[in-house]
Amino acid sequence: MTAFLLTLIGAALAVGLELLEAMAIVLAVGSTRRPRDAVIGALGAVALLALAVVVVGPLVLARLPLEPLQVVIGTALLLFGLEWLRKGVLRLAGARAPSNSLQEYLDEREAMEALPPPEPGRPDWPARVVAGKGVLLEGLEVVLIVAALGAGPQGLAPAVAGAAVAVVFVIGLGLVLHRPLARLPESHLKYAVGIVLSCFGVFFLGEGLGVDWPGGDAALLYLALVLVAAAQAQVTAISARHAQVPA
Amino acid sequence: MRALRKLVLGETWTLPLGVLATLALALILHELAGDTAWWRHAGGFVLLACVLAVLAASLAPAWRRRER
Repeated sequence: MTAFLLTLIGAALAVGLELLEAMAIVLAVGSTRRPRDAVIGALGAVALLALAVVVVGPLVLARLPLEPLQVVIGTALLLFGLEWLRKGVLRLAGARAPSNSLQEYLDEREAMEALPPPEPGRPDWPARVVAGKGVLLEGLEVVLIVAALGAGPQGLAPAVAGAAVAVVFVIGLGLVLHRPLARLPESHLKYAVGIVLSCFGVFFLGEGLGVDWPGGDAALLYLALVLVAAAQAQVTAISARHAQVPA
Repeated sequence: MRALRKLVLGETWTLPLGVLATLALALILHELAGDTAWWRHAGGFVLLACVLAVLAASLAPAWRRRER
Protein backbone atom coordinates (compact mmCIF):
# COMPACT_ATOMS: atom_id res chain seq x y z
CA MET A 1 0.00 0.00 0.00
CA THR A 2 2.88 2.37 0.87
CA ALA A 3 4.58 1.69 -2.47
CA PHE A 4 1.26 2.09 -4.33
CA LEU A 5 0.48 5.46 -2.74
CA LEU A 6 4.01 6.82 -3.08
CA THR A 7 4.14 5.73 -6.73
CA LEU A 8 0.78 7.39 -7.40
CA ILE A 9 1.79 10.64 -5.68
CA GLY A 10 5.26 10.66 -7.26
CA ALA A 11 3.91 10.03 -10.77
CA ALA A 12 1.13 12.61 -10.37
CA LEU A 13 3.52 15.33 -9.17
CA ALA A 14 6.28 14.60 -11.69
CA VAL A 15 3.91 14.32 -14.65
CA GLY A 16 1.87 17.35 -13.55
CA LEU A 17 4.93 19.58 -13.26
CA GLU A 18 6.41 18.46 -16.57
CA LEU A 19 3.07 18.93 -18.34
CA LEU A 20 2.76 22.36 -16.80
CA GLU A 21 6.09 23.36 -18.33
CA ALA A 22 5.12 21.89 -21.70
CA MET A 23 1.76 23.66 -21.58
CA ALA A 24 3.46 26.99 -20.78
CA ILE A 25 5.54 26.65 -23.95
CA VAL A 26 2.61 25.62 -26.19
CA LEU A 27 0.39 28.40 -24.83
CA ALA A 28 3.15 30.97 -25.33
CA VAL A 29 3.65 29.85 -28.94
CA GLY A 30 -0.11 29.66 -29.58
CA SER A 31 -0.81 33.12 -28.19
CA THR A 32 2.00 34.88 -30.09
CA ARG A 33 1.84 32.92 -33.38
CA ARG A 34 -1.05 30.95 -34.92
CA PRO A 35 -2.60 28.55 -32.33
CA ARG A 36 -3.05 25.94 -35.09
CA ASP A 37 0.71 25.71 -35.68
CA ALA A 38 1.41 25.40 -31.96
CA VAL A 39 -1.09 22.52 -31.75
CA ILE A 40 0.38 20.82 -34.85
CA GLY A 41 3.89 21.03 -33.33
CA ALA A 42 2.62 19.64 -30.01
CA LEU A 43 0.71 16.81 -31.71
CA GLY A 44 3.83 15.85 -33.72
CA ALA A 45 5.74 15.59 -30.45
CA VAL A 46 2.96 13.50 -28.89
CA ALA A 47 3.19 11.06 -31.83
CA LEU A 48 6.96 10.71 -31.27
CA LEU A 49 6.35 10.20 -27.55
CA ALA A 50 3.83 7.44 -28.29
CA LEU A 51 6.60 5.72 -30.26
CA ALA A 52 8.94 6.16 -27.28
CA VAL A 53 6.32 4.55 -24.99
CA VAL A 54 6.19 1.49 -27.28
CA VAL A 55 10.00 1.24 -27.37
CA VAL A 56 10.60 1.83 -23.64
CA GLY A 57 7.68 -0.30 -22.44
CA PRO A 58 7.05 -3.55 -24.28
CA LEU A 59 10.28 -3.67 -26.29
CA VAL A 60 12.87 -2.81 -23.60
CA LEU A 61 11.44 -3.07 -20.07
CA ALA A 62 9.30 -6.17 -20.66
CA ARG A 63 12.27 -8.17 -21.94
CA LEU A 64 14.64 -7.61 -19.04
CA PRO A 65 14.68 -10.04 -16.09
CA LEU A 66 13.40 -8.49 -12.81
CA GLU A 67 16.67 -7.92 -10.92
CA PRO A 68 18.71 -6.26 -13.72
CA LEU A 69 15.57 -4.26 -14.54
CA GLN A 70 15.38 -3.00 -10.95
CA VAL A 71 19.06 -1.96 -11.12
CA VAL A 72 18.46 -0.06 -14.40
CA ILE A 73 15.27 1.56 -13.11
CA GLY A 74 16.83 2.41 -9.73
CA THR A 75 19.78 4.06 -11.44
CA ALA A 76 17.50 6.03 -13.80
CA LEU A 77 15.30 7.17 -10.91
CA LEU A 78 18.37 8.27 -8.94
CA LEU A 79 19.62 10.28 -11.93
CA PHE A 80 16.29 12.10 -12.27
CA GLY A 81 15.44 12.26 -8.56
CA LEU A 82 18.76 13.59 -7.31
CA GLU A 83 18.78 16.28 -10.02
CA TRP A 84 15.27 17.43 -9.03
CA LEU A 85 16.30 17.31 -5.37
CA ARG A 86 19.55 19.25 -5.96
CA LYS A 87 17.67 22.01 -7.77
CA GLY A 88 14.93 21.91 -5.11
CA VAL A 89 17.44 22.39 -2.29
CA LEU A 90 19.12 25.29 -4.11
CA ARG A 91 15.75 26.97 -4.77
CA LEU A 92 14.50 26.58 -1.20
CA ALA A 93 17.85 27.86 0.09
CA GLY A 94 17.58 30.93 -2.14
CA ALA A 95 20.67 29.98 -4.16
CA ARG A 96 18.67 29.57 -7.36
CA ALA A 97 15.67 31.36 -8.85
CA PRO A 98 12.37 29.70 -7.87
CA SER A 99 10.74 27.42 -10.45
CA ASN A 100 8.03 29.36 -12.22
CA SER A 101 6.05 28.16 -15.25
CA LEU A 102 4.41 31.58 -15.56
CA GLN A 103 7.85 33.19 -15.99
CA GLU A 104 8.72 30.46 -18.52
CA TYR A 105 5.51 31.30 -20.41
CA LEU A 106 6.38 35.02 -20.44
CA ASP A 107 9.99 34.37 -21.53
CA GLU A 108 8.83 32.08 -24.33
CA ARG A 109 6.30 34.70 -25.48
CA GLU A 110 9.02 37.31 -25.60
CA ALA A 111 11.27 35.02 -27.65
CA MET A 112 8.46 34.22 -30.12
CA GLU A 113 7.52 37.89 -30.50
CA ALA A 114 11.11 38.62 -31.58
CA LEU A 115 10.67 36.34 -34.62
CA PRO A 116 9.27 37.65 -37.93
CA PRO A 117 5.50 37.05 -38.19
CA PRO A 118 4.32 33.95 -40.10
CA GLU A 119 3.41 34.38 -43.77
CA PRO A 120 -0.35 34.00 -44.42
CA GLY A 121 -1.34 30.62 -45.87
CA ARG A 122 2.10 29.04 -45.22
CA PRO A 123 3.10 26.69 -42.38
CA ASP A 124 4.74 28.48 -39.45
CA TRP A 125 7.71 26.15 -38.94
CA PRO A 126 9.41 28.12 -36.11
CA ALA A 127 6.19 27.91 -34.07
CA ARG A 128 5.75 24.20 -34.82
CA VAL A 129 9.37 23.38 -33.94
CA VAL A 130 9.38 25.39 -30.68
CA ALA A 131 6.06 23.90 -29.49
CA GLY A 132 7.08 20.40 -30.62
CA LYS A 133 10.51 20.56 -28.98
CA GLY A 134 9.01 21.78 -25.69
CA VAL A 135 6.44 18.99 -25.57
CA LEU A 136 8.98 16.37 -26.71
CA LEU A 137 11.61 17.16 -24.08
CA GLU A 138 9.18 17.51 -21.18
CA GLY A 139 7.18 14.50 -22.42
CA LEU A 140 10.25 12.30 -22.72
CA GLU A 141 10.97 12.84 -19.04
CA VAL A 142 7.33 11.96 -18.28
CA VAL A 143 7.63 8.72 -20.28
CA LEU A 144 10.87 7.72 -18.54
CA ILE A 145 9.61 8.54 -15.03
CA VAL A 146 6.25 6.77 -15.46
CA ALA A 147 7.94 3.73 -17.05
CA ALA A 148 10.51 3.62 -14.23
CA LEU A 149 7.93 3.98 -11.45
CA GLY A 150 5.63 1.49 -13.21
CA ALA A 151 8.38 -1.14 -13.41
CA GLY A 152 8.16 -1.69 -9.64
CA PRO A 153 6.45 -4.68 -7.98
CA GLN A 154 3.11 -2.83 -7.79
CA GLY A 155 3.02 -2.58 -11.59
CA LEU A 156 1.99 0.22 -13.92
CA ALA A 157 -1.44 0.88 -12.33
CA PRO A 158 -0.47 3.50 -9.68
CA ALA A 159 2.00 5.26 -12.01
CA VAL A 160 -0.57 5.48 -14.82
CA ALA A 161 -3.33 6.52 -12.37
CA GLY A 162 -1.06 9.26 -11.01
CA ALA A 163 -0.22 10.40 -14.54
CA ALA A 164 -3.93 10.47 -15.45
CA VAL A 165 -4.74 12.60 -12.37
CA ALA A 166 -1.96 14.99 -13.41
CA VAL A 167 -3.20 15.24 -17.01
CA VAL A 168 -6.76 16.08 -15.85
CA PHE A 169 -5.40 18.61 -13.34
CA VAL A 170 -3.10 20.36 -15.81
CA ILE A 171 -5.77 20.53 -18.53
CA GLY A 172 -8.20 21.96 -15.95
CA LEU A 173 -5.57 24.48 -14.95
CA GLY A 174 -4.98 25.37 -18.60
CA LEU A 175 -8.65 26.29 -18.95
CA VAL A 176 -8.55 28.84 -16.14
CA LEU A 177 -4.93 29.79 -16.64
CA HIS A 178 -2.74 32.65 -15.51
CA ARG A 179 -3.34 33.35 -11.86
CA PRO A 180 -3.39 29.69 -10.65
CA LEU A 181 -0.09 29.17 -12.47
CA ALA A 182 1.50 32.04 -10.58
CA ARG A 183 0.27 30.72 -7.22
CA LEU A 184 1.52 27.12 -7.56
CA PRO A 185 4.36 26.38 -5.13
CA GLU A 186 6.41 24.83 -7.94
CA SER A 187 9.75 24.85 -6.13
CA HIS A 188 8.31 22.91 -3.17
CA LEU A 189 6.49 20.46 -5.46
CA LYS A 190 9.67 19.77 -7.44
CA TYR A 191 11.59 19.25 -4.21
CA ALA A 192 8.94 16.68 -3.17
CA VAL A 193 9.23 14.90 -6.54
CA GLY A 194 13.01 14.76 -6.03
CA ILE A 195 12.50 13.08 -2.64
CA VAL A 196 9.98 10.53 -4.02
CA LEU A 197 12.03 9.63 -7.12
CA SER A 198 15.28 9.38 -5.13
CA CYS A 199 13.78 7.16 -2.45
CA PHE A 200 12.32 4.83 -5.12
CA GLY A 201 15.75 4.89 -6.82
CA VAL A 202 17.59 3.73 -3.67
CA PHE A 203 14.85 1.17 -2.95
CA PHE A 204 14.85 -0.42 -6.43
CA LEU A 205 18.64 -0.36 -6.74
CA GLY A 206 18.86 -2.18 -3.39
CA GLU A 207 16.23 -4.74 -4.37
CA GLY A 208 17.94 -5.36 -7.71
CA LEU A 209 21.20 -6.05 -5.87
CA GLY A 210 19.68 -8.55 -3.44
CA VAL A 211 19.04 -6.25 -0.45
CA ASP A 212 16.25 -7.22 1.98
CA TRP A 213 14.89 -3.88 3.15
CA PRO A 214 13.78 -4.06 6.79
CA GLY A 215 10.00 -3.55 6.82
CA GLY A 216 9.58 -4.36 3.10
CA ASP A 217 7.72 -1.60 1.20
CA ALA A 218 7.57 0.47 4.40
CA ALA A 219 11.29 1.07 3.85
CA LEU A 220 10.19 3.71 1.33
CA LEU A 221 8.90 5.79 4.24
CA TYR A 222 12.10 5.79 6.27
CA LEU A 223 14.19 6.27 3.13
CA ALA A 224 12.06 9.34 2.32
CA LEU A 225 12.42 10.64 5.89
CA VAL A 226 16.23 10.29 5.79
CA LEU A 227 16.37 12.06 2.41
CA VAL A 228 14.11 14.87 3.67
CA ALA A 229 16.29 15.28 6.78
CA ALA A 230 19.50 15.41 4.71
CA ALA A 231 18.02 17.77 2.13
CA GLN A 232 16.57 20.09 4.81
CA ALA A 233 19.95 20.20 6.56
CA GLN A 234 21.49 21.33 3.25
CA VAL A 235 18.73 23.94 2.72
CA THR A 236 19.31 25.35 6.21
CA ALA A 237 23.10 25.39 5.88
CA ILE A 238 23.18 26.91 2.38
CA SER A 239 20.58 29.58 3.21
CA ALA A 240 22.48 30.45 6.41
CA ARG A 241 25.63 30.93 4.34
CA HIS A 242 23.64 33.17 1.97
CA ALA A 243 22.52 35.24 4.93
CA GLN A 244 26.12 35.59 6.18
CA VAL A 245 27.69 36.55 2.83
CA PRO A 246 25.44 38.64 0.56
CA ALA A 247 25.64 37.67 -3.14
CA MET B 1 21.51 17.13 -28.29
CA ARG B 2 22.51 19.54 -25.54
CA ALA B 3 18.91 19.66 -24.31
CA LEU B 4 18.70 15.85 -24.36
CA ARG B 5 21.96 15.48 -22.44
CA LYS B 6 20.70 17.99 -19.88
CA LEU B 7 17.42 16.05 -19.65
CA VAL B 8 19.09 12.69 -18.96
CA LEU B 9 22.27 13.67 -17.10
CA GLY B 10 21.17 16.97 -15.57
CA GLU B 11 23.08 20.24 -15.29
CA THR B 12 26.16 18.95 -13.50
CA TRP B 13 28.55 16.06 -14.06
CA THR B 14 28.77 15.42 -10.29
CA LEU B 15 25.41 13.67 -10.12
CA PRO B 16 25.76 11.24 -13.04
CA LEU B 17 29.36 10.42 -12.06
CA GLY B 18 28.35 10.02 -8.42
CA VAL B 19 25.43 7.75 -9.29
CA LEU B 20 27.72 5.72 -11.54
CA ALA B 21 30.31 5.41 -8.77
CA THR B 22 27.58 4.35 -6.31
CA LEU B 23 26.39 1.71 -8.76
CA ALA B 24 29.94 0.43 -9.35
CA LEU B 25 30.67 0.27 -5.61
CA ALA B 26 27.36 -1.51 -4.94
CA LEU B 27 28.04 -4.08 -7.67
CA ILE B 28 31.54 -4.75 -6.30
CA LEU B 29 30.28 -5.11 -2.70
CA HIS B 30 27.42 -7.32 -3.90
CA GLU B 31 29.91 -9.60 -5.68
CA LEU B 32 32.32 -9.67 -2.73
CA ALA B 33 29.52 -10.35 -0.24
CA GLY B 34 28.21 -13.34 -2.21
CA ASP B 35 25.60 -15.14 -0.11
CA THR B 36 26.64 -13.63 3.20
CA ALA B 37 23.93 -11.96 5.26
CA TRP B 38 25.61 -8.60 5.83
CA TRP B 39 24.89 -7.27 2.32
CA ARG B 40 21.25 -8.44 2.38
CA HIS B 41 20.67 -6.70 5.70
CA ALA B 42 22.98 -3.69 5.54
CA GLY B 43 23.64 -3.16 1.82
CA GLY B 44 20.64 -0.86 1.44
CA PHE B 45 22.00 1.50 4.09
CA VAL B 46 25.39 1.52 2.37
CA LEU B 47 23.58 2.57 -0.83
CA LEU B 48 21.64 5.24 1.06
CA ALA B 49 24.86 6.64 2.55
CA CYS B 50 26.44 6.78 -0.92
CA VAL B 51 23.39 8.60 -2.33
CA LEU B 52 23.48 11.16 0.49
CA ALA B 53 27.19 11.71 -0.19
CA VAL B 54 26.47 12.21 -3.90
CA LEU B 55 23.74 14.75 -3.09
CA ALA B 56 26.09 16.62 -0.74
CA ALA B 57 28.86 16.63 -3.36
CA SER B 58 26.48 17.99 -6.02
CA LEU B 59 25.57 20.86 -3.68
CA ALA B 60 29.18 21.69 -2.78
CA PRO B 61 29.53 24.40 -5.48
CA ALA B 62 26.72 26.35 -3.77
CA TRP B 63 28.88 26.43 -0.63
CA ARG B 64 32.05 27.40 -2.49
CA ARG B 65 30.34 30.23 -4.40
CA ARG B 66 29.27 31.82 -1.15
CA GLU B 67 32.78 31.69 0.31
CA ARG B 68 34.11 34.10 -2.28
